[in-house]
Amino acid sequence: MDTQLIEHMMNPKNYGSLPGANAEGIGKNPDNGEKVAIYLRVETDEEEPYIGDIRFQAIGCTTTVVAGSMLTEEAKGLNLNGAYNLVDATMKLLEKLPPEDAACSEMVALAIKAAVDTYIKREEDPAYPAMTYHVANTCVPKEENEEGK
Amino acid sequence: MIKTHEAWLATLMAGFMSKTENKQVLFDFSDILFRHFTWLENEIISLNESYSYDRDAIPIKVERLSDLLHDIIKRLDEIDLQLLSSPDKKLNARISSDIHYMCEVLRHMDDETVTAFSMERKFPGVELTQEATDALTLFLFEETYKEYELIMIYNYLKAHSNDAYMNRIFQILIDESFFHLKSFGDMGAKMGILAVPRIVMKELYQVEDVVQFLKDGIDEELAAKEECKRLSEAVAKDSSKLAKFFDFINHQENYHIALMTDALAHYAKATNG
Repeated sequence: MDTQLIEHMMNPKNYGSLPGANAEGIGKNPDNGEKVAIYLRVETDEEEPYIGDIRFQAIGCTTTVVAGSMLTEEAKGLNLNGAYNLVDATMKLLEKLPPEDAACSEMVALAIKAAVDTYIKREEDPAYPAMTYHVANTCVPKEENEEGK
Repeated sequence: MIKTHEAWLATLMAGFMSKTENKQVLFDFSDILFRHFTWLENEIISLNESYSYDRDAIPIKVERLSDLLHDIIKRLDEIDLQLLSSPDKKLNARISSDIHYMCEVLRHMDDETVTAFSMERKFPGVELTQEATDALTLFLFEETYKEYELIMIYNYLKAHSNDAYMNRIFQILIDESFFHLKSFGDMGAKMGILAVPRIVMKELYQVEDVVQFLKDGIDEELAAKEECKRLSEAVAKDSSKLAKFFDFINHQENYHIALMTDALAHYAKATNG
């Protein structure tokens, strides 16, 4: 375990709700009820929307919180295309991991995507509800999953 | 109530940081502040006002204990001021009296050097392998949060129930979780990885289905027993003392399972008439 990782465990960055958020998104693991909520305050600079501030909350394990801390730090200040690129790059990295290791970070990445998608929908319909995406990976190792059935 | 919540946690964290006789005083004060929190919560409920357990992040990373004590005194002073505009004057007077005494004691508390954030990850007097150290680190982060989460959930359920039997069970579970939280927080501070538990999401404590919550709770306790067993095995080679502690925590989960099984039976009886 490296120092940077422990630092994220001790002081997760951007944890909590965000007053004045204008979009929210949820990443969910339907297998175990874990979820991540992302709150965005999208601002506009020269007509280009960008993530002015971002927060997250999680029902999940320490790995999820560390992933939330790292990815929200990366997402802060990005324009919307940059945020989508961050999500895509994260998902590509996760392809190399076993599903139980990938599920936590996938949940955060999908929550960011859901929040950006919600923001775009709200440009047309301000009452559009927060979007939710489900993870494809599962946090429960296969043999444990089978035993549980 | 939010400020009291924050002051309670800040004082509890100060207790973890202390290595002197200050520790017990800070733990006692944090217990008093938790009780203030429950009094204020009951007042809000009686006024039919909505509330949540949301709070701000609490910065606790200090090199000297006195830095955090000054911060706690400032927080307590702010609470004292806020109480002036609160409707229950008798409750406010009781809390205010506690606050004045606590501030006075905190002002004169001997200072200490804080090592709770050193990130050394060494348990005093014990040489653990890297694997055991990593397992213990992860366990402490997971379980410190989990115990805090449970305290908040049981407390919310208790605040919203008039069933004396259930409330007795919730109170025991709160007390048990406090013991575990204090044990794990203390261990975290000794290893230099002390952290404030993260904010609990509303949907966790605003329980809609108590029966399902209790059933899930029993499953979680069974999983926690397994986790304690694994950790005990991981550290046994290097420290029989630590291994015995985790066996003790493992066996304590049996109380929680018995209490939740009782609660489940009582709840089923009460709701089925």
